[in-house]
Amino acid sequence: MAVNAAEAAPQNAAFSTTKWSRAWQNHAPGYLFLLPWLIGFIGLTVGPMITSLYLSFTDFDLLTPAQWIGTANYERMFTNDRNFAAAMRVTFTFVLFSVPLKLAFALAIAMLLNRGMKGLPLYRALFYLPSLLGASVAIAILWRQIFAGDGLVNQFLSIFGIVGPSWISNPNYSLWTLIILSIWQFGSPMIIFLAGLRQIPQDMYEAASLDGAGKWRQFWKITLPLLTPVVFFNAIIQTINAFQSFTPAFIISNGTGSPINSTLFYALYLYNEAFSFFRMGYASALAWFLLFLIACFTAFSFLTSKYWVHYDD
Amino acid sequence: MTIRLGRREFLMGSSALAAAAALGVSPAWAQNALRLIFWGGQARADRTYAVTDAYAAAGNPGVEGEFLSWNDYWPKLATQTAGGTAPDVIQMDYRFIVEYATRNAIAPLDDIIGDLGEFDADQLEGGKVDGKLYGISLGANSVAMLANVTAFEAIGEAVPDNSWTYADIERLGEAFKAAGNGMAAMSDGSGSEPFLDNWLRQRGKALYTAEGKLGFDAADATEWFAMWNGFREKGYIVSAEDNALDTGAPETSMVALKKAALLPSNSNQLVIHQSVNDDTLTITSYPRIEAGVGGGHYRKPSMFFSVGGTAAEKQAAADFIRYFVTDPEAGKILGVERGIPCNASVREAITPTLDEQSQIALNFVSNLGDLLGPLPPSPPAAAGEIDTSLLRVLSQEVGFGGRSAEDAGQFFVDEATAILNRAAS
Repeated sequence: MAVNAAEAAPQNAAFSTTKWSRAWQNHAPGYLFLLPWLIGFIGLTVGPMITSLYLSFTDFDLLTPAQWIGTANYERMFTNDRNFAAAMRVTFTFVLFSVPLKLAFALAIAMLLNRGMKGLPLYRALFYLPSLLGASVAIAILWRQIFAGDGLVNQFLSIFGIVGPSWISNPNYSLWTLIILSIWQFGSPMIIFLAGLRQIPQDMYEAASLDGAGKWRQFWKITLPLLTPVVFFNAIIQTINAFQSFTPAFIISNGTGSPINSTLFYALYLYNEAFSFFRMGYASALAWFLLFLIACFTAFSFLTSKYWVHYDD
Repeated sequence: MTIRLGRREFLMGSSALAAAAALGVSPAWAQNALRLIFWGGQARADRTYAVTDAYAAAGNPGVEGEFLSWNDYWPKLATQTAGGTAPDVIQMDYRFIVEYATRNAIAPLDDIIGDLGEFDADQLEGGKVDGKLYGISLGANSVAMLANVTAFEAIGEAVPDNSWTYADIERLGEAFKAAGNGMAAMSDGSGSEPFLDNWLRQRGKALYTAEGKLGFDAADATEWFAMWNGFREKGYIVSAEDNALDTGAPETSMVALKKAALLPSNSNQLVIHQSVNDDTLTITSYPRIEAGVGGGHYRKPSMFFSVGGTAAEKQAAADFIRYFVTDPEAGKILGVERGIPCNASVREAITPTLDEQSQIALNFVSNLGDLLGPLPPSPPAAAGEIDTSLLRVLSQEVGFGGRSAEDAGQFFVDEATAILNRAAS
């Protein structure tokens, strides 16, 4: 699709001699077309971010004007907030288990689908489906039914004479039901893995099998090393998503993080501070700390990537 | 595919779009309609809109309503208030009225509300902050124990009446256990703030004092948790694991899930609970700590209508509120869905028109007798946080065996005091 953009360019000959103006003439149409996005980016993302940074140093309850309190919000986070510690524990457990398991699962399914079977597009769509549904309210409610005391899981276990607990409402297991929910949404990393697998030249496998390498050895020596850029990409995206996970925990516990704060995700805690207790300043500080955490993690990943990510060139 | 979009076509297209946008979005308040915001479900919205339609049909200003769930309501209202775009008529709760009034986010009504007729004095008092009237009660309600009549009949026990005591929980607990149908006598009330409040009031204490301090000590809290531990260990109430399935929605209550026959609730919620249950439900009082001890219950203004502090048409908003609470026809449409109407003639007019559950609720609130105590002062601003992030979590920790009753009692008082101090500073 080509849009005849050149017509929109300003034709002002008086300034055409200066360098600046020439650059403007060349790029003006581009900026013009970017304008709607730029307005949105500055007005809806950059502006609120700066405001939130300011608010994170204030005490603000929406009704009375914000009061500057310096770094008190950040100090409270680490010295005097039991729930913050609980939220960190829950979130780190979630990230640590859900991301590797989800990636392993996605890679396994992708390899299964990569064997050129009949009706591949159909299977691909079917396996992708949970990712489209996963973040929805309906699935979170369904999850409650499946993992409740008399739910599907326990009905299955009762066939073997096992009386299971009410997984979703037991503080020892509730977080795991959410980790399983997250693994089940393996669709988007799977699609990316599938694309990555297609890039690996077939002759490598042929050469390897001529040399007598078995399937297992081929996976470790060829597939995985050549796939590391894709693994790297998926790991970063999924980790960022996992840190920000909100909807399932919100729906399943009705926003409380119940039972006993065992599903109190960081984002859920932040939401409660902001919109249940109206501590906008503190919630802003929490949001900036989350950004800092994610940035640290991502930087760490990039720094270590040269030791384990293999690029072709 | 190639699209050639010349300047003329582009201009025509975009100006058409702009024109459509300008015509399409003509805000209702541009025609001086009042804006109303309230929390509730579809049933409440239907009744409310029927009244606003009737109001407009009688030649009054139109009222544009908007409703949200309780959880979504307060963020939205606070955001609108902060942005200076709060609606003219605001549904307000007893828990928040002081906060909004002291910050001038709602306006005093003494001079503009006019004649409310024969209006319950205690309900009028409940809408006052520092002696000035900031909210008009839309109905009175009281805490009430929801009871599954069908379940009681099935085991041959009578539904407890208003004279029942905590000792009866043990008697009924044994009866339900003996029936062996997997239903306990009662849900776990240890994490219910109104239940604790009711129990404390019968002991001559309170959840909060008028100064916004904690009205009980660690020994009380310990005794409370220990009592529920006893019920739980003996199987008189549901297990901690089952109780955690209740997210607060009527469909997930222990009564709806058929795990308990009794559930602490409110008088005006009988209607909504009945709508999601096949079994016949009724309400009775919370138990007495000893036979003959009362004073735990009170007639709470279930919710108010207030006028926004920045509303341009304060008089028009007050006129609408007056119509809403004093007009008998409006009363018939509204029923007791927001609680028992406070205006005597409205109450009289609607009584014959009520359905069964509404009759039960009206009779219950009208006949509390010696159970009735004084209206407590409105709770401090941090009360909501103490309820959701402390009492509920602690009750679960005790229920799942992670904390002893003594430990929880002391922790509750220490932590609640810290939260109150932090909010006050």
